Amino acid sequence: MAMKGFIRKFKPLEILSEEQFQAIHKATLDVLQNVGIRIEHKRALKLLESHDCQVDYGNMRAKFPPGLVEESLQKCPSSFRVKARDPQKDLIMGGNTIYFGPAPGKQTVNLDTWEPREATRKEAYDGLTILDALPNVHFLPSYTPYFGFEGLPPVMRIPEICAAKIRNSTKWFFEGYSNDCEIFIIQMAQAMGIDIMCSMLASPPLTFYGEAVECAFRMAEAGMAGRVLPGGICGATAPVTIAGSTVTANAEILAGIVLLQLMRPGMRIEVKDFTYPQNMRTGSPAFGNIGVSLHGVVFSQIWRRYGIPAGMTTAYPSSKIPDFQCGYEKAIIALIAALSGINLQLVQGAIHGELTHHPVQAIIDDDLVGMIGRFLEGVEVSDETIALDLIAQVGPIPGEYLSKEHTRKWWRKEQFIPQVADTLTYPEWMKKGKKSCLGYAKEKMEEILAKHKPTPLTGSQERDLEKILEDARVFYKDKGML
Amino acid sequence: MKEEILKGLQKSLRDYDSEGCIAWAKKANQEGVDPLQAIDALTEIIQEVGDGFSRGELFLPDLIAAGATMAGAMAELTAALKQKGLERKSLGKVVIGTVFGDIHSIGKDMVSTLLTASGFTVHDLGIDVKAERFIEAIKQDRPDILAMSALLTTTAKEQKVVIEALKKEGLRNQVKVIVGGGAIDQSFATGIGADGYASTAPEAVNLVKSLIGR
Repeated sequence: MAMKGFIRKFKPLEILSEEQFQAIHKATLDVLQNVGIRIEHKRALKLLESHDCQVDYGNMRAKFPPGLVEESLQKCPSSFRVKARDPQKDLIMGGNTIYFGPAPGKQTVNLDTWEPREATRKEAYDGLTILDALPNVHFLPSYTPYFGFEGLPPVMRIPEICAAKIRNSTKWFFEGYSNDCEIFIIQMAQAMGIDIMCSMLASPPLTFYGEAVECAFRMAEAGMAGRVLPGGICGATAPVTIAGSTVTANAEILAGIVLLQLMRPGMRIEVKDFTYPQNMRTGSPAFGNIGVSLHGVVFSQIWRRYGIPAGMTTAYPSSKIPDFQCGYEKAIIALIAALSGINLQLVQGAIHGELTHHPVQAIIDDDLVGMIGRFLEGVEVSDETIALDLIAQVGPIPGEYLSKEHTRKWWRKEQFIPQVADTLTYPEWMKKGKKSCLGYAKEKMEEILAKHKPTPLTGSQERDLEKILEDARVFYKDKGML
Repeated sequence: MKEEILKGLQKSLRDYDSEGCIAWAKKANQEGVDPLQAIDALTEIIQEVGDGFSRGELFLPDLIAAGATMAGAMAELTAALKQKGLERKSLGKVVIGTVFGDIHSIGKDMVSTLLTASGFTVHDLGIDVKAERFIEAIKQDRPDILAMSALLTTTAKEQKVVIEALKKEGLRNQVKVIVGGGAIDQSFATGIGADGYASTAPEAVNLVKSLIGR
């Protein structure tokens, strides 16, 4: 058994012609071979040098022969399982399956003023309870739901959030790294018997900092899965064009893949696009911009061809409140991602970019994801669904279908039933206080918090977790960081 | 000839043609054009760019290119100004830089360009600037404002290091300190003892104006 996710039953959306694909692929190999990637990690450079990469230690730059790149791609499994705390919630990544996860935020928002503020510990844990309960949240990404909570010293944010995810959800998750915290993340995963994946994040253009590579070595040595992502901003740290920024992003990811496959041949790897156009007024990522989708669809097409499970850039909106803009930005990005055949997509909960998240928004977005998921399942065509016999039996007026068993059997499969969307008639809507999905979502949040109790850890698991957190505190105290 | 040079300076800046702009500045110096007039001609264009940015008609690539184009020509013209012992009329002097350990220049460049556009004299120390370098520039330039940028949470604390160094050198009361950048907010700025904080480049210009009473 594994988490069901959504299975796409039709051909994915592809927007590159064969010629365009080949041109981008060739340019990517060219960058790897002739420009190279700066890797600020001596052990990694030595490893690459011993496998025919040309290494300049002064500039920390490695140049990759195309043969090695192709060979490394071959070593990556095209589909693999990652273990969750509840085995029924393992993910099987790859193929036609798409899993959705929440889009985390640095802070929460005040639901009356929509202004950002730091979440409390209780709000972080409650946020995870909501995500554990939502049916279309299939896994939890890094820094979820918040990048930390009140009173946490910066170095303890990732370990504490990781522990919160383990405590309040049985869903699979992946995590970030910083200041060697992956040492403790790996220990937590091992103590719980789960698979963890820490991101190996490039620092564009064409660079990996030592910290990312060190984390990758630790993940590989512990037998965990790997995740490589670029983080380019088109026009600032990547070319402004979709084609050019695809080349640099893919060159960065491929360099990461070569390294991971040299560290541990056959390592399970997921790749994720994390490329945003630049907001040319503020210099920030242009959240909600259609460039995210154009880049993502191209990314999806290329990595499906390479045979590696892939995730698309998060469906972060630029809006600050759950309004029309928030809805269309998320819907367009999430729907296009799903149609493109991507395997992982983050949607639920983001209010503005990666700065804010709220469970109420996650509940609204869960309906959006459910609608998309239903669409992906496509149309079943069989004797039973065509229903020729029934059509003949009902005939013209006064025939009807409402009273038929066929309707009772099929309608729930054919439709998607939203949890909090307003689907009332005008009279009902007026009588019930003219509520919108936002009002229903607030009620739903209270209902979930009252009823849903995440499966608790056993006593010994909780002791293990607390011991690892204490070890992390001592580690950072000794380093003078706490 | 002078008219042609001034127009050449303006056109090259408007076209973001760095090499052309430096060539026209050199020519201005060779032909004995008053450097103050040449600087005014450039400032007029940079003001147009700044206004265009504020109106939402021009964007970051324009602001960054205009700032970079002007910087090269300004170096030539300022050198000529010094030789003649002249000083430019300005609303005030600002020393600006991104702090030590941080190589992010865009936000700092935006502030620098908009301040120049608004009539301030800006000495941009660049990125990865150590406390000693800020102190040296303050002793030398005697600016009204010290502006520091930091994008990273790990480098934000360097702004405090600079403020402490100012106190140690007895310079803290001679200059107003403003801070900004992705990792900074008002409470951080207050906490490290800065005189002001702005979250955007146009806000920074207003902040500088209010701090020095212009």
